[in-house]
Amino acid sequence: MSQFDFLSLHRRRFLTGASALGAAGLLAACGKEPAPAPAAPPAAEAPAGGGKKYAGQSLNLLFNQPHVVAGKLLAQQYEALTGAKITVTPVPYDQLHSQATLDVQSGAHQFDVIDYFYHTLGALVADNVVVDVTDWIERDKAEIEPDDFLPSLYDNYTLRNQRRWGLPYDGDSHVLFYNTEIFARHNLSAPKTWDDYYNAAKLITQKESANGIYGAVVEGFKIPVIVGSSYANRLAGFGGSFFTPDGRPALTSPEAVAAAEELARIVPWALPTPAETAFEHALPAFLSGKAAMIDFWTDLGVTAQNPESSKIVDKWDLVQLPVGGNNKTPRAALNAGFGLAITTGTQKKELAWDFIKWATSKSVALQQDVLPGSGIDPNRTSVLNSPEYGKAAPHLQKEVQAAIGNALAWPLQPQSPKLLDALTEELALIVSGKKKPKAALASAQAAWEQILKA
Amino acid sequence: MLGPAALGLALVAGLPLVYTLALALSQSTLGRPLAAWAGLAQFRHLLGDGVFFETLLRTGLYAVPSSLVQLALGLGLALLLQGVRQGRWLRSLILLPLMTPPVLVGVAWKLLLAPAGGLFNGWLLHLGVLSAPLSVLGSDTWALPAVMLADTWQWLPFVVILCLAALQTLPTDVHEAARLEGASELNVFVHISLPQLAPSLLGIFLLREVMALKTFDVVYILTAGGPGRSTTLASYEIWKTGLHNFDIGLAAAQTLLFSLFVGLVTWPVLKALQWVERRTG
Repeated sequence: MSQFDFLSLHRRRFLTGASALGAAGLLAACGKEPAPAPAAPPAAEAPAGGGKKYAGQSLNLLFNQPHVVAGKLLAQQYEALTGAKITVTPVPYDQLHSQATLDVQSGAHQFDVIDYFYHTLGALVADNVVVDVTDWIERDKAEIEPDDFLPSLYDNYTLRNQRRWGLPYDGDSHVLFYNTEIFARHNLSAPKTWDDYYNAAKLITQKESANGIYGAVVEGFKIPVIVGSSYANRLAGFGGSFFTPDGRPALTSPEAVAAAEELARIVPWALPTPAETAFEHALPAFLSGKAAMIDFWTDLGVTAQNPESSKIVDKWDLVQLPVGGNNKTPRAALNAGFGLAITTGTQKKELAWDFIKWATSKSVALQQDVLPGSGIDPNRTSVLNSPEYGKAAPHLQKEVQAAIGNALAWPLQPQSPKLLDALTEELALIVSGKKKPKAALASAQAAWEQILKA
Repeated sequence: MLGPAALGLALVAGLPLVYTLALALSQSTLGRPLAAWAGLAQFRHLLGDGVFFETLLRTGLYAVPSSLVQLALGLGLALLLQGVRQGRWLRSLILLPLMTPPVLVGVAWKLLLAPAGGLFNGWLLHLGVLSAPLSVLGSDTWALPAVMLADTWQWLPFVVILCLAALQTLPTDVHEAARLEGASELNVFVHISLPQLAPSLLGIFLLREVMALKTFDVVYILTAGGPGRSTTLASYEIWKTGLHNFDIGLAAAQTLLFSLFVGLVTWPVLKALQWVERRTG
């Protein structure tokens, strides 16, 4: 046997062995059991004698990029209070879920607390990313006061499979902002119905588009939180829901179709072009006085009053989202919205739980909600109704109080990301005029039924 | 001697391929990979519903023409630069788009093409070419060419640099002899330079074609795959399936089919490259 034959033999043996090991690993992985259920909650620790309670400890937070100002304030204050060093890692909102899941699934366990989109909680629970905090809430309920969380938020933001997995942090909803100066020029009053909205937008666009001013800006960019929010606002207004009371998709209901038709009919009269319009186009257009109306998150009111970013200071107002069809009661849509949860990968569950309780408490929530640029909205009834919040957001308080009660939640199932993706595809086709609303929603309905059946 | 090489190949190429295949044959989510056996169900789904096939076709129809255009423009610019005395400064300027982060390329072009306030619409309205703003990225006719335009703007300098390098390898004596014999510049280029450049140009085309097939960033920023699905290319589709819908198993199946597709699209170019290399010795 030559030297090279000897090497070949060894090479073949090595490759054969490596393949066998790889195949064995593959078979083992295919039969992998799901991760075990989380351990029983730890008993509360007594504070350390002398010095701050968590001095020398640290906590890593995965935070939504738009919340970074609020997150940094939380970090500073909690560190001053307890001595624990808090690191806030901001990520774009569309990567929150994947980053949190990858962090746990990969074994990196970098993050202790996550700022999660409420509609992704089902998927986070199914993937064993977050810790069950039901028993801890019960144990600490005197401190947490769970009955004070806004009822429309508490279950939607935290309850899955009859257990609780976090606490509400940012209670997002939309209202309709309008430019009072443009409205006054045309003797228009604040829209109460989607017909009012349409007629106002059409009139303003017809009269002023030559000057680059349009009746409304409609965000129809093909991302769930953008075009999905625009649709959800209309769906809420028409009194519709994403699901029937018994949990079946309701995208072909008369209310759902009417909402889609409402979205389609405004397109010719909106700022060009809804299919391309995302936040970075919509906000400058409204804040520079180029669009008379926008349905957007409530914290736009703070930006609209900031002369550094707004040309419409004191020239705007807001109302609840319009109503339509047979629905006469204004209703908010829970667009976006965030909770705080503990990751299953953390070794610091007690510290993480202490932080979450504190961050969602009355005093801290109020401070966050009145902070300009925080992007945080009320999570508690007492905060929403407080005189301090009313003073900081005078336009908002009354409108949100009236509409938040029966707010429309987005899909909460573990399949929520897929459901929203399927719906977004069809909504984008409606907004770009490629498909009629009824046909598009029928396709979305069929897709949802298939996803939920699978 | 070849043991370390085999180990390296196994680690870098083999293991990921085996893992991807395992994912493709299983029901896998981001949080629960390899959760259950799925067999060929995911491949059957992809081959059956036609949507992914359309995406692959669209990706091919995007990558091949855009690479051809970039090659032609790149060669033309390289020839021009070769003749310019202060070419070094111009070359540095031309490289600027290549040094721009892809995300910024997308943002810049999105602003340029915006129907309300964008430079493109502004000029055309001012010149009277348009009477109303044109939504380029909102049109399923123009959105994909717009993506090609942004991609070309970014990668053309890369092609120019490679073409310049190829031009500099041409022997000057043959060209001088041809000119002395009375051949025009065009004839010299067509009959002498081009055949000698052919292997390099095909190699550059192949490289750009593979890169274009994998385009993701400009689609993500400019159009999110819309309007409808008119700019949904394979990489974007796979990203959406895997990291948006968290269906890792299906994304893995898409990845494998896409790899086969890339092989299919690049195979004629590889064959042409081998043929040209044989002819030019």
